[in-house]
Amino acid sequence: MVKRMMNNVFDVIVIGSGVIGSSIAYHLSESKNHEILLIDKDFPLSGTSGSTQAWVWVHSKVPSWYGELSMFSAELYPFLEKKIGDVEYKRTGGIAPFFNKAEREKAWRLVEQQAEVGIDIEVLTRDEVLEKEPSLSSHVAGATFSKLDGNVNPFRLVELYVKAAKRNGVQCSFYNQVIDIEKSGDIFRLETYKGVFRAKKVILAGGPWSKDLGSMLGVEMPVKQVRGQILVTEPLQPFLKYTIGGIRQADNGEVLIGYSKEEVGYDRRSTLDVIQQTAKMATDFVPALAKANVVRTFSGIRVMPKDGFPIIGEIPNMDGAYVAVMHSGITLSPLVGTLMTELLTDGETSIDLTRYSLARFEGV
Amino acid sequence: MDKSTIVCRCEEINVDEIETAMKNGAETFDDIKRLTRCGMGPCQSKTCLNPVREIIAEYTGKPLADIRISRMRMPLKLVRMSALTNGSEGGNVASVFGESVEDGETNDE
Amino acid sequence: METDLLIIGGGPAGLHAALTADRAGARVVVADESFSLGGQLRQQTQWLSNLPGQYGYGKKRGTWVNEQLINQVGASNVQVLKKHTMIGSYLNGNIGVSDGDKTFEIQSRKNIIAPGAQEEAKVFPGWTLPGVMTAGAAQILINREKVLPGKRAVMVGSNDFSLEVARQLNSCGITVEAIVEEKNQIICSDGELVKTLENVPVYTNSTIEIVTGAGEVEHVVIQTPDGLKEVNVDLVCIANGFSPILEPFEIMNCHFVYQKELGGWLAAYNIHLQTTNPSCYIAGNAAGITDFGSILLTGEIAALSALEAMGFISSAEGTEQKSRCWRELANLESEKVLQARTEMLADYHQKHELDLPDYFMKIKGGKMYG
Repeated sequence: MVKRMMNNVFDVIVIGSGVIGSSIAYHLSESKNHEILLIDKDFPLSGTSGSTQAWVWVHSKVPSWYGELSMFSAELYPFLEKKIGDVEYKRTGGIAPFFNKAEREKAWRLVEQQAEVGIDIEVLTRDEVLEKEPSLSSHVAGATFSKLDGNVNPFRLVELYVKAAKRNGVQCSFYNQVIDIEKSGDIFRLETYKGVFRAKKVILAGGPWSKDLGSMLGVEMPVKQVRGQILVTEPLQPFLKYTIGGIRQADNGEVLIGYSKEEVGYDRRSTLDVIQQTAKMATDFVPALAKANVVRTFSGIRVMPKDGFPIIGEIPNMDGAYVAVMHSGITLSPLVGTLMTELLTDGETSIDLTRYSLARFEGV
Repeated sequence: MDKSTIVCRCEEINVDEIETAMKNGAETFDDIKRLTRCGMGPCQSKTCLNPVREIIAEYTGKPLADIRISRMRMPLKLVRMSALTNGSEGGNVASVFGESVEDGETNDE
Repeated sequence: METDLLIIGGGPAGLHAALTADRAGARVVVADESFSLGGQLRQQTQWLSNLPGQYGYGKKRGTWVNEQLINQVGASNVQVLKKHTMIGSYLNGNIGVSDGDKTFEIQSRKNIIAPGAQEEAKVFPGWTLPGVMTAGAAQILINREKVLPGKRAVMVGSNDFSLEVARQLNSCGITVEAIVEEKNQIICSDGELVKTLENVPVYTNSTIEIVTGAGEVEHVVIQTPDGLKEVNVDLVCIANGFSPILEPFEIMNCHFVYQKELGGWLAAYNIHLQTTNPSCYIAGNAAGITDFGSILLTGEIAALSALEAMGFISSAEGTEQKSRCWRELANLESEKVLQARTEMLADYHQKHELDLPDYFMKIKGGKMYG
């Protein structure tokens, strides 16, 4: 199949089949007007998208314009599920507990800020938190709560994006690393392990590998790699109702816990230092977890734009080249796929992306 | 062999499910794991790793030497959360709420 | 906790390594997940013939060797941590162990990782029924737990280990109804052992078609060249060979290599039994599936290398002692395994551009492979 594609000219090549790349390929394929290739150096879920807790998280995203973007994306999930199938999206509501009274002030500031864009947040007293989620520690001082937050099964999500994209005619080339990209005239020429591919438009959706892809086009991508380590317990009886900042219980009863950040390059090992600290956080938040067995741990390398916010849109001074790289790709993927499709099809987007342009960074 | 034969007993994944994952392009144990949950249960693929590698070898016609092993992770044995917390100190683990107000970065989505 | 040498695994390789290091004056900690030392040696009631010189060469029971090791360790300065499992490693490279109540770091200068091997499963319809178990599990039940796992058994596989277990099952009063081998002949190389089982039907070129039963094994269908053969048994033992345990080595960031005759994938190592992580040495079946004599010797070589690296023995003494161990190992170990091992070592040294010591080339009159 790859041989047949060789020297084919595509309308669009999406590089990276993580949650962002596969969402873009899927949404772009819905109109069936484009010849699309989705290419990845490994296999879907082998990178960041397969090593996440997969919250669809909105309420504590600040400034509010970023919270708003997250909210719009979360709102798309129910519709997305109708289209691509059951991705186990659950709008559980999200609780971000705090443990001292001083933080209550901050909580009220968050409520005010987010109200500007219509993100509805409650500040819960200790008793209210414990009534909602009785397993939380009685040491909790309060929490912010929003109905907008939830979680999704990332394995199902990426698998179904790719499946739906394939049904719409998207061609996939996995285990195929892009070695170089050249632009001659209006056409991008991609040299890969499995041959040469050409396209009118190319979208870089390489997550933590975005720097490498950018440099092929002579663009310095202002992103860093951040490691997050996550603990998984044995399946437990359902006892956590909400998505708690740092902890969630999956459909099969496993509890996923993690909130670490380390800048260690592309090193996906787990370390006992962070595992033990994470276990401490888990039992501080939910004391009953002390009795649970930890079955496995994993770590994922997240991509983090230098200012923390998504980079979405055309690459300045390079017609036909686009980038979509961000932390929180699970939350943002339905919206980013939709907006990138608008951008490539109509040249404009329903939500102004100026703020998210690569051009905001100096020296780009 | 009957395609309904269980290969991963922890997650009850059968031969058919593994072959279906390969039909969808999976090439390694870890690809199959992420698509099917094969090897994700309590034994963490200690039992099914090589049986699955044999199925991959047969399906792809590659020698066993070319079929990679899975990524292996801590803890090496099931361990109680309380056994991990004993001796632990705070550090790299932040709180979602604390961070939201500081810099807008969150993690693990 | 702090020590010179941390040994993970208190089986024959780990204990022999511990004694070697203790004699040279190093502080040694042995951590083992079990409540008693000895590892798989604990239930080897059979006679072992190919033992190194310090065990008197002659035939000794595995359980006797085990007692010797445990008594010597008891009389030494070796610190033993029973019921302590290696859980993982810290950012600084130190190993973390857990006793179920707490998890702590052991600061060591060098580590020897000797976790042994695991038995391979075999997948066929019905293999998950209670009553299907590995040959090693059946052996533990009869020799260690003194429990009969069944009354009538089928043994799947005919290697040295499976026939030894079949013999032991027989001597406990369990009737072995059939030995099933997918190859065209019995694999076991021990003629005497085969002879003790001459009354047991052997089906070569045969496989298990299906195992059935209401909640437990009752009925086995064997696919033979002469058609299906059915037997009523309550125990199916699988002897599908052993493979080196890998997990602790991945945690310690060691590289792996594939060598079929050593049991498949294993952590790569050099002539000093040092892995690609310079602070981690490997010993025992984890370094390639072999006999108990060679298992003991790999423990000794690993310990000598660690002692030499830490300055407890001179380089000259290390070379002399290791040369002796390798010579002895070359004489004890089966030709097939030795060939695979030396080929792997030669590849490793070539790949990492390391010289092989003279003694390696001279072992077995220059007959080393690779």
